[in-house]
Amino acid sequence: MTQTLELVATTRIERTAARRKIDLRPAVFLAPFVVLVALFTYWPLIQLVYLSLFKLNRSGPDRFIGADNFLGVLDNAQFHDAAYNSLIYIFLSIPFKVFLPIPLAVFIWTMGAKLGNFYKAALFLPTLLSFVVVSIVWIWMLNPVMGLFQSVIGPLGLQMPSLLSDVASAIYVIIGVGAWKLIGFNILLYLAGLSAISRDYVEAMRLDGAGDWVVLRRLIVPLLSPTILFVAISTVVFTIQQVFTPIDVMTQGGPLNSTTNLFYLVYQYMFESFNVGYSAAGALLIFLLLGLIIAAKMIWFEKLVHYS
Amino acid sequence: MAPSMLKLSRPLMLVGHIILLVTALSIIAPLILVLGTSFKPANEIYGGLPWPRKFTLQNYYDVFEKLPFGRYLWNSLATTTLRVGGQLLIALFAAYAFARYNFPGRGLLFALVLGAMMIPPQLTFLPIYLLINKLGWFDTWAGLIVPNLAMPLAVFLLRQHLLAFPKELYDAAAMDGANELRILWSVVLPNIKPVMAALTVVLFVDCWNEYFWPLVITETDHAMTVQIGIRRFLDAERGDDLGPLMAAVTLISLPALAVFFACQRQIIQTFVSVGIKG
Repeated sequence: MTQTLELVATTRIERTAARRKIDLRPAVFLAPFVVLVALFTYWPLIQLVYLSLFKLNRSGPDRFIGADNFLGVLDNAQFHDAAYNSLIYIFLSIPFKVFLPIPLAVFIWTMGAKLGNFYKAALFLPTLLSFVVVSIVWIWMLNPVMGLFQSVIGPLGLQMPSLLSDVASAIYVIIGVGAWKLIGFNILLYLAGLSAISRDYVEAMRLDGAGDWVVLRRLIVPLLSPTILFVAISTVVFTIQQVFTPIDVMTQGGPLNSTTNLFYLVYQYMFESFNVGYSAAGALLIFLLLGLIIAAKMIWFEKLVHYS
Repeated sequence: MAPSMLKLSRPLMLVGHIILLVTALSIIAPLILVLGTSFKPANEIYGGLPWPRKFTLQNYYDVFEKLPFGRYLWNSLATTTLRVGGQLLIALFAAYAFARYNFPGRGLLFALVLGAMMIPPQLTFLPIYLLINKLGWFDTWAGLIVPNLAMPLAVFLLRQHLLAFPKELYDAAAMDGANELRILWSVVLPNIKPVMAALTVVLFVDCWNEYFWPLVITETDHAMTVQIGIRRFLDAERGDDLGPLMAAVTLISLPALAVFFACQRQIIQTFVSVGIKG
């Protein structure tokens, strides 16, 4: 008993001693990272709020105008187009980039290793290519005069429509190119999820006489649902951000704003109309939107996902 | 590859093969055509054949002749190397501090790391751009590198691996009189070689392929990277000079593809695991 008490006493003394002597080592190791993150991630966020509240001229913030920049952006027809297009980009991405890869992954999963690896390698290639390269290759293929598709259908007497300069089709081209780049990677993510599903479950269901479709619907999809949700979230984030490059390379937001999105508009406010206040206000509005998406993700996670 | 765990019926399997084959071809065929076109002489470019009848390297000479492509390559290579090196070092230090020490505010700081992962750089580009201008770093290597040196995802991944380390390992080394840097270098680093290698590949490809930030922060050959350079070339020619354009496309895609073909399976594994943890 006394021994225990003594032990407790000494540890307590040691602890206080350790507490008194502040250990600087973690601070030294953390300093570079913390300074950089503070300076280039968190400080800019605060700075955005500040910039968005001012009328700016060439020398910097001029006078406080409160919410005028926000109201101006929200009232701006370009912003409406961009917001609408962003929703189209997101919603059309779900079937092509999130759902379509599921059956493809299941097919690869049921194949032998040799063929499976060939498909995996082929589908993975676009992940390594830059979006600039991918955009250039597609511009070339779609070119109505000397593009690849034209050289295939030209001899048949057909004419390739100018898809990228048509208001009705340009955005779908960009969505398609984005899908071309991302599908393979999402398939690989699904394969990683599938590899965690035990063979015993499948066999047990087989013994009960379940067919392919039942196994897929009742077993594989539910067990895969955490992966599906993860892929959905990362695809949405990818789509909102990364689509900037094909927009800038292929259409510059045109024709008639039909392909612009929110990130691209915020960029244009800054570097084409030189309106710093609008750009800052627009960025904060996107931040709000992303916050909502992340909140929705948290809520959905609780409700929808079956954890094995 | 996991062994086949589900036997699909024959017709369904056939459908699967057809869909996969079409998808794979839609990816491989354009890439082969790009490669083929880059070796074609000018008079064959718009001909129907996918492969050159008369093989030539002229397009590759032209790329370096018509634009300062060597300079772009050098800018990309140097800034990517410096940036990835810096990212790894800074992330390793931070992850080590998080994993090894108990200090007040650790939880809060780590929450800030996780939070930073969710803030896309395209959101904060404006204040950073203004700051870089004030520092006089517009159109310089420093402007390309410094704002991107802190990589929260890398800290997150490395910390996870370091947490799996037994604390005794550190303590034993410390007792032998090794200082902290020594412990990092000769105890920690050899044990996390695989994850460091994986991170290096992912960060390198990520940085080499980056478009947005170089577009914002570079203007002349002084700092312009290959991705921006090839985009300018596209604008200048608008497809009139397809051979050199395709040669340039091939050249800038080559580093990542070469690494991929050298160690295929690990690369796929690497991207998937980093993607899942990110």
